[in-house]
Amino acid sequence: MPTIHPTHPFRTDQANIERLTSLLLYLGQPKRGSTEKDNMALRLWASSTANALGVSCASKAHLFPSFSLSRCFSTVLDGLKYATSHEWVKHEGSVATIGITDHAQDHLGEVVFVELPEPGVSVSKGGSFGAVESVKATSDVNSPISGEVIEVNSKLSESPGLINSSPYEEGWMVKLKPSSPSDLESLMGPKDYTKFCEEEDAAH
Amino acid sequence: MFRCECFDMYKDVVPYSVAWSWQKSIVKERQALMERNEDCSDTLIILQHHPVYTLGTASSEENLNFDIKDAPYSVYRTERGGEVTYHGPGQLVMYPIINLRYHKMDLHWYLRTLEEVVIRVLSSMFSIKASRLEGFTGVWVGDQKLAAIGIRVSKWIAYHGLALNVTTDLTPFQRIVPCGIRNRQVGSIKGLLGEPRYSNGNGTEDIYTDACQLMDITHNSLLKEFFEIFKFTLHHRSTSDLKFQEEEPSSLLTGKHS
Repeated sequence: MPTIHPTHPFRTDQANIERLTSLLLYLGQPKRGSTEKDNMALRLWASSTANALGVSCASKAHLFPSFSLSRCFSTVLDGLKYATSHEWVKHEGSVATIGITDHAQDHLGEVVFVELPEPGVSVSKGGSFGAVESVKATSDVNSPISGEVIEVNSKLSESPGLINSSPYEEGWMVKLKPSSPSDLESLMGPKDYTKFCEEEDAAH
Repeated sequence: MFRCECFDMYKDVVPYSVAWSWQKSIVKERQALMERNEDCSDTLIILQHHPVYTLGTASSEENLNFDIKDAPYSVYRTERGGEVTYHGPGQLVMYPIINLRYHKMDLHWYLRTLEEVVIRVLSSMFSIKASRLEGFTGVWVGDQKLAAIGIRVSKWIAYHGLALNVTTDLTPFQRIVPCGIRNRQVGSIKGLLGEPRYSNGNGTEDIYTDACQLMDITHNSLLKEFFEIFKFTLHHRSTSDLKFQEEEPSSLLTGKHS
């Protein structure tokens, strides 16, 4: 088996293979916000990589250079805006949906608990609206925009792992009624966010 | 090298609510500075607690083997990660308040590094070979957990921390499922070393002669390893500088205060 340099040095190779496999399955599915060409390219890549893993790992070892998995495979979707604290915002009319990015969930590891606010609560840009717990560490999740909470994803209390398996869709955290439209303008688009992640990972 | 201010109260037994309040006020002050693009140095508080049980954000009350209305000690629900644990005299508790931006913005790295501090202390001072258990944060000797870890991170400022059993009376751990792990035990340094033996004339040196000395040795080594691993320069601060912040009433789950 190729020794893929793990994002987290104390995970076993087996754990990394399992993560890679589920990531491949996720990438193989069409994504809202990606173009059909992107989706096709991702599916082709995902299936050829899965084959490579299954067939002869030793000979395909050169396909897995030793660098962080998350740098290679974190998904960033078109059509969303991103904060430097790794939350995403999808703005549709008068509703903004917020969650944490694929890069964030990958760095956190398995999410075991999600704390969400009550509907009706006001949040301000940069302020914490909830928390996620993984590996004995509970981290704040900050709101990229100001607004009033209109709905929270109640599925996350039973299934916090949705944040890991589907960070942009089923793992959404809150829906806000934005109070300040200009908040969105200071957020990053997908290309800038991808670059931001690469720089942040490289620096550490 | 980074500056770290140390509030060293390792001989003091401090109520949990007070130490928790100190941490929150330091974190709050620090976040206010960061809003203005300023910052101050990292901090370490080291102390012992009166007997208390604490729960983390996801902790289940099922891991308490007692009715919360009739708890033997205070029970606090805190904002740290991890399951239920016990703190009490004889256990050294470290609360590093660290801005991970200056170290490594990686929670896993931080947890592994805290474990490393304890592993080095056990090895260098007591020749105890401790290890990690994959999937179970903390420091283990065989199937005994000697140190528990649970943290909270807010805008990359990490707080809460680690607790190492030195001469702790371990019986209160029997009233809980420590850290939610059912089929393993909790241990202490004293438990592993055994009672001190006095010189038998063969020149065998005792590692320690009494519990106080064991606490002293462990404390000194913890500080040394902690400062070395994080590349800190240590600056002692007076505990009179610590501020108390009002506690949220919902966090104390029992009627008692400790």
